[in-house]
Amino acid sequence: MSIAEVATSLLRTEETFSAYLARINNVILQPLLQSGSFENSDLFLLLNNHFQVLWGLTEENCRTLKEAFSASESVSVQDVYLVWKADLFLDRYIQYFSTFATCAVLQGFEHAAKNKSEVWKSHKPALQQFLADFSLDASIAVALHTVLHKPFRDQLQQYSLIFSKLEGAAGQCPESEAIADATQKFAKLLSFVSQVLDEACLTRSLWKSLGHKFTDVLCIAERRLLEDSRNLTVYASTGRSDRVLLFNDILVLIQGSNFRSLDLKLVWVDVAERDVGKYALRIAAPEEEFFLLAKDLKARAVWQWKLNQAVRQALNGKRDFPLWSRDGDGSDPPHCRHFSFTFRAEGRLKNAVYDGEWCLGRPHGKGTLTWPDGRNYVGDFKEGLAHGFGIYLVPCVSEDHYDCYKCHWQEGKMSGYGICEYGNETVYKGYFKDDMRQGFGILEKASSTKHSFKYTGHWENDKRSGYGIWDDKERAERYIGMWHEDQRHGAGIVVTQSGACYQGTFHSDTMVGSGTLLLEDDSVYEGNFTADLTFVGKGKLTFPNGFTLEGTFSNRSSQGLHTQGILNTSGEQQDEHMAKLQLGQKEFPVEMRWEGLLNQFLEYIRLGCQGDMEEAFTGFHVQTSKELRKSQEYLFCQRENEEVPGKVDVLEDIIAHQEEETLQSYLERAFQNSLHPLGKLLKALTLAFQATYSTIGANKHLLNMAQEEVKHYAQKIWEVYLGFLHLASERKGQAYAEDLENSGLNGPSAVLPLILPSFYPDLFMLYMLYHEKEDDLYCQGIVDLSQETDVKLLEFLDVRKHFWPLKDLTLTKHQRRSLVKDRCFLSATDCLRNLITTVDPQEKLDILQKTYDEIAKTISRLLGEEFNPSMDDLLPLLMYVVTRARIQRLGAELHLIRDLMDPTTSGGMYDFLLTALESCYALIQKEIQYHQSWHASQDS
Amino acid sequence: MMAIRELKVCLLGDTGVGKSSIVCRFVQDHFDHNISPTIGASFMTKTVPCGNELHKFLIWDTAGQERFHSLAPMYYRGSAAAVIVYDITKQDSFHTLKKWVKELKEHGPENIVMAIAGNKCDLSDIREVPMKDAKEYAESIGAIVVETSAKNAINIEELFQGISRQIPPLETHENGNSGTIKLGKQTAQTTRRCC
Ligand SMILES: Nc1nc2c(ncn2[C@@H]2O[C@H](COP(=O)(O)OP(=O)(O)O)[C@@H](O)[C@H]2O)c(=O)[nH]1
Ligand SMILES: [Mg+2]
Repeated sequence: MSIAEVATSLLRTEETFSAYLARINNVILQPLLQSGSFENSDLFLLLNNHFQVLWGLTEENCRTLKEAFSASESVSVQDVYLVWKADLFLDRYIQYFSTFATCAVLQGFEHAAKNKSEVWKSHKPALQQFLADFSLDASIAVALHTVLHKPFRDQLQQYSLIFSKLEGAAGQCPESEAIADATQKFAKLLSFVSQVLDEACLTRSLWKSLGHKFTDVLCIAERRLLEDSRNLTVYASTGRSDRVLLFNDILVLIQGSNFRSLDLKLVWVDVAERDVGKYALRIAAPEEEFFLLAKDLKARAVWQWKLNQAVRQALNGKRDFPLWSRDGDGSDPPHCRHFSFTFRAEGRLKNAVYDGEWCLGRPHGKGTLTWPDGRNYVGDFKEGLAHGFGIYLVPCVSEDHYDCYKCHWQEGKMSGYGICEYGNETVYKGYFKDDMRQGFGILEKASSTKHSFKYTGHWENDKRSGYGIWDDKERAERYIGMWHEDQRHGAGIVVTQSGACYQGTFHSDTMVGSGTLLLEDDSVYEGNFTADLTFVGKGKLTFPNGFTLEGTFSNRSSQGLHTQGILNTSGEQQDEHMAKLQLGQKEFPVEMRWEGLLNQFLEYIRLGCQGDMEEAFTGFHVQTSKELRKSQEYLFCQRENEEVPGKVDVLEDIIAHQEEETLQSYLERAFQNSLHPLGKLLKALTLAFQATYSTIGANKHLLNMAQEEVKHYAQKIWEVYLGFLHLASERKGQAYAEDLENSGLNGPSAVLPLILPSFYPDLFMLYMLYHEKEDDLYCQGIVDLSQETDVKLLEFLDVRKHFWPLKDLTLTKHQRRSLVKDRCFLSATDCLRNLITTVDPQEKLDILQKTYDEIAKTISRLLGEEFNPSMDDLLPLLMYVVTRARIQRLGAELHLIRDLMDPTTSGGMYDFLLTALESCYALIQKEIQYHQSWHASQDS
Repeated sequence: MMAIRELKVCLLGDTGVGKSSIVCRFVQDHFDHNISPTIGASFMTKTVPCGNELHKFLIWDTAGQERFHSLAPMYYRGSAAAVIVYDITKQDSFHTLKKWVKELKEHGPENIVMAIAGNKCDLSDIREVPMKDAKEYAESIGAIVVETSAKNAINIEELFQGISRQIPPLETHENGNSGTIKLGKQTAQTTRRCC
């Protein structure tokens, strides 16, 4: 057969069909539409529209094909419009049949048949005659049904025939692909049509068989029955369920005269665990979970497949084409879906609205949960519970105030690090567990408000408990010590603004028994006293001059202090130790002071440094709470994908820099990086340190606590570092940090200078306070000696004449050698002055070593030979240099170096030089007496 | 692997008794009658084997001048041993030695090893302090005693060997070095590994 012949046969069937459509139009549709309205008559209006379009299409195509024949001798594939207009055909037929199916489902043909209008009645004979061609003894309704669909289906069959002929006729040609494509489309259309009709038929009979109670609610135009447990048996596990019906949009469970329906968009289906039943499917929906139990594997498979297809199509908002097919878009519906839902069941979610991501019938992913009472949660969910990061707003009794929790959640409970801005203007930044403050945290009421305070310390069950620092801004006092159930309880130190401080034992927020009170004038009182530092009861007062007053004290109002006791003026008690008494070291062992904070970091490592857990353990990486305060939406939408510059894989990075040479610079960078766990740890420790020793806490009696704390930090930070390294090497399958251990590196000593800058200002302040008196004396000594000329000073200090570097001096005309000042040992003096330019104790020691070298160099140059000073010579020379260097606060410097230098070098050269410098410092303090008597002896 | 132990040793005694000369002899095996001011030694080290350990002596000399005497505590602080020197030709220097011992007992580190050196034994013909007195005194305070001569290199090595022997051996558990070296506590003896 040639293409022309195929085209001819196409034209013939189209003409026949067109003629037929004309008859339907005349005999059925037009009379029906003119007969006025009846039940569902508007459906026929719609059907007629689609019919007219289809008819028009057919006519139009006849015409163009005829034109083609008359225009040219040979007809080509191009002229067979079916191939090129396949989509148009498909579209028209789908519309027609969809509407037809709705008509069928809603028993439109029965209604039409029963139409009582005059026009229709008078038309009936002609109609019956026409219908007789189709079915002899059926009712009008059945006949209408048949007439309005069968010819269309037949025509589609004809098209299929034409296509197979066309394929044969065209053979291998450029158009064969298009032909094959169109062929397939028409095949699909055919199966679509038969599926639509089957579905309609099933649905129609279902509606007919169900009582009004059901159909009144369930029967809607577009709804189709997809599966019925009467057809393929399943039982629902919820109570007695008689019947399970799967529609294209809902799943219905019928129980007696009741039914429940589930929106398919909110339904998840998966194979249930074995113990539920052999062939069970789990059906999950919001507030709903049950099982469908099938008889066999096959039945379950069919239900599962149909359910999943139905859910997916419901989610897509349109049916597949064809409706069911194993191929094509037969994938399962997405596990994660986004929609809004209002909870109805009793419980904590009653009437709450959840808008967000779901999985298996439960909020899962990101979402917003809003309660009618104004509470709301925005953030991460897992299996229905808050889990991950989330912001929870709770309105307070007074309007416009909210408690705002920005924190990490675990299984619905606040857990890990969080920030809570309470409605009462207090802010908590710290750790939670089971919805309660637990571990380390800072609670602060802004200083601009009434009764402002700040607590930095440990929590247990939402209450202050354990070691903690409390600033009472109103009383201008700081409490450093133990807490229990929100009260000061146990050992504690109170430091006041004036500089006085006391240590004692607290019970239920007040001090009990006797304590030690250290007054700002260095007198010490041991005994009973009140919170406003009034002596009451037995006590012993030691004055700075060593006098003691021991007895019973009382304070009658406005009459001043009364005492009955013994005044001891022997001065035996005078004791440097008392004036510099160090508090707290024994009562608050350094290991327990910030345990709650350090443990979070160690725990984070212990659990394997899971990325999503980092914040929960190590705190937020935002610098300020202002940043965090940015809108909730911001946090909700973007937090996850935030690409933070400078964020690196800690473990990868740590392993790349474990060599001793790169370790230092690595650690340095880590400490400066607010995103790095080590940087965060340092930042947090700095806050804790400042909370204790800054401002009011700058008290000389706390020096030892502070310095041992800094050293402890270095040790713990090193421990944390090793923890990371250990984990990283484990992951890499490398031997753990062996190189590092064999190198003999003293980790904490390497860390200390790197973290010291963070603590230095506060720590140095303590050293300064501690040495205030000595530094004053030293300063006087320096001022006194500074007046001497170089020659006089060398002479006074007993520097051996050989070593006087006067040869060095180039004098101007007006200068006399004996009168110059500040011209000797300049290189050494300049060098020593650098002592205050660094915070690193080791660097300070290096400066000292260099100073020593410079002295030796100056003298070797002078004498022209190697110089190695003996002790007899070294001290006078060093005295000279120290005097000329005029370093401020030398006592504080020396003590700091001594406390923080690498203890493994003790006894060595550095220790020796430091001791020599300490000697000079001690001597200069006493110098005034010597100096004056020396002058006296010189003058005489 | 041999453990090195660092032992701080300070020298005490009257000026002129030969403290610096003893150090010089011990460390550099050198003695100069007219001791040059340019080859002094204020801090020196020398390592000697002792059993299966190495002892590294960190030797701190002290200044002789009177005005510096009050500083002595800074120098003997943290010492494992003190060498207290007197001049056998000067009774006064023996008297000063006793004062040093007393001070060490009161203010010195606990368990400090004390070694008494009666120096300039080459000048025994002008001796003022009988050997017996020194022996008895040393015994009474539980100290080592030897008569030495820095000049003729007599008993100098022995003096330090004597100290080594008095140092208690290392406790084994200190060896378990797990990367958490304690910061803080000043110890008289620090341990390091060599090789
Ligand atoms: N004869 C003799 N003279 C010595 C001996 N040791 C030191 N001297 C001399 O004693 C003087 C003081 O010695 P020195 O080491 O400076 O004593 P120091 O002040 O204790 O350090 C120097 O002249 C030395 O030469 C010794 O063993 N025998
Ligand atoms: Mg000397």
